[in-house]
Amino acid sequence: MIPLSDHDMLAQRNHDEESRQSFVNDFRIHLASNVFPGNFPTYYNRVLPNFIKEKGREPETRHEVRKVMTHDPYYSFWSAMQRNSQEMIWDSVIDSVERQLPELIEKSRKAGDKGSLTLDPDLETPKYHVAADIHLQPGAYHSDQIEDDVAAGAMYDWGTYIYSMGGLGTGNNALGQITNGFFKNEYPDKKPLRILDMGCTIGGSITYWAQQHPDTECYAIDVGAPVLRYGHARAEALGAAVHFSQQNAEHTDFEDESFDIVMSHILLHETSRTAIQNVFDESYRLLKPGGIMMHMDLPQAHGQQPLEGFLFEWEIYNNNEHFFAQLRDMDMAELCRKAGFKDENIHPKSAGSFWMDDQTPYADDGFEFPITIGIK
Amino acid sequence: MSKDDQKKIKLPRTAKGKKPQYFNDPTVDKLLSMVLTLMGELSVTRDRLDTVERLVEKNGLFKIDDIEHYEIPDDVNQIRSERRSAYIARVLKSVQDELDALEQKGDGKNTELAD
Ligand SMILES: C[S@@+](CC[C@H](N)C(=O)[O-])C[C@H]1O[C@@H](n2cnc3c(N)ncnc32)[C@H](O)[C@@H]1O
Repeated sequence: MIPLSDHDMLAQRNHDEESRQSFVNDFRIHLASNVFPGNFPTYYNRVLPNFIKEKGREPETRHEVRKVMTHDPYYSFWSAMQRNSQEMIWDSVIDSVERQLPELIEKSRKAGDKGSLTLDPDLETPKYHVAADIHLQPGAYHSDQIEDDVAAGAMYDWGTYIYSMGGLGTGNNALGQITNGFFKNEYPDKKPLRILDMGCTIGGSITYWAQQHPDTECYAIDVGAPVLRYGHARAEALGAAVHFSQQNAEHTDFEDESFDIVMSHILLHETSRTAIQNVFDESYRLLKPGGIMMHMDLPQAHGQQPLEGFLFEWEIYNNNEHFFAQLRDMDMAELCRKAGFKDENIHPKSAGSFWMDDQTPYADDGFEFPITIGIK
Repeated sequence: MSKDDQKKIKLPRTAKGKKPQYFNDPTVDKLLSMVLTLMGELSVTRDRLDTVERLVEKNGLFKIDDIEHYEIPDDVNQIRSERRSAYIARVLKSVQDELDALEQKGDGKNTELAD
């Protein structure tokens, strides 16, 4: 495993911790490239013929496929291993974070002041975050175990890098590279003065934007305090000015029409049916006339074959990504319309690794995300 | 909170949320987790040994602390990664076997021989 580029807040791994993380990384690569593809012959040679024998037709939806595939011994063994590999990610990063926590907290307290950090201890953690730990990170984004905790952020930095098998790039900022590349290509003449990233976690994306646009005022919000403390210290360590604050993206305290861009990177699928509309409404309120909303998230169900659609939804049922089940079928344009965007200003687009500006080896993987654009 | 208490902080290690059961007998779920953990730990041990061997060769003699500060050169990183992949494939052979059998023609019984 190629390590993340070092920065002052990154938890340092000892010999065995590095090796354990490399194992999980390589194990997941093996599952993805050698075991997962076996689900296709399993389906076509075993599950599908049985289904046809019984029903006289092929499955029509991904839900029908789920009913029969879930019990197939090959699929369930892959699925169980994939679930274990996800648990192993966190297990492999906790030790080094736990060991260095006092130093990391101390460093975050002394973080620079190019940007800023504003916390709100009274902010309620949304219900859709407290019932289950999303993608199995113990304690999730929001739990403080100790005063001024940064553990959730420190774990997220290494954990998501291993999750992506390096796909997020050694700067852990591929998503920001993608939206930035997309923006530069789509709107080459726009010079945003003030931008907001919603659901920023450790600010991987917005910090990259701040580095690319040093004259732009960059704001980032999240509901989780430990990830924000870490994110702020990380941005300062990287020499970037980002203003972090603990706020719910459904209702923020920013003024009307105060941003040129309001964006998010894979935030939406971790919200709820009510919250997602609120996020779009709030985006509209915050945009200046002519301002651009860009919400990038995971692929939806339309256009996918039943088997493909079913396999795509593994994370919903096995990785605590519960709201993604509903987002898969939601009408994004309708959310925009209800928020106030005019039909002619709503653009469903696609953004992918082809927009990454440093052509890292990861860019070849060609991952693509839908991005919902609304211009006020 | 004193400085000592702060040093002893224990982070949570189990994610909240219902864990799916993958096999008819939940014991199998636990056994699989154990096997995969063992697999990982053996890999860690092998990496550590690899470091020891390389250091012995390099220095003739070494301090234990050298191990913690061993920096992995790119080529060694590559070698380790390839060996890990081969090792993973070996431990997961039963999974590959099932897949291979699915793709093989016939009913898997040597009737010709038995006849
Ligand atoms: C998958 S992470 C986003 C990753 C991040 N945007 C990046 O580019 O690296 C989702 C984040 O959204 C945050 N979040 C979820 N609901 C939110 C809300 N209503 N308001 C603000 N943040 C929210 C979570 O706390 C979590 O940190």
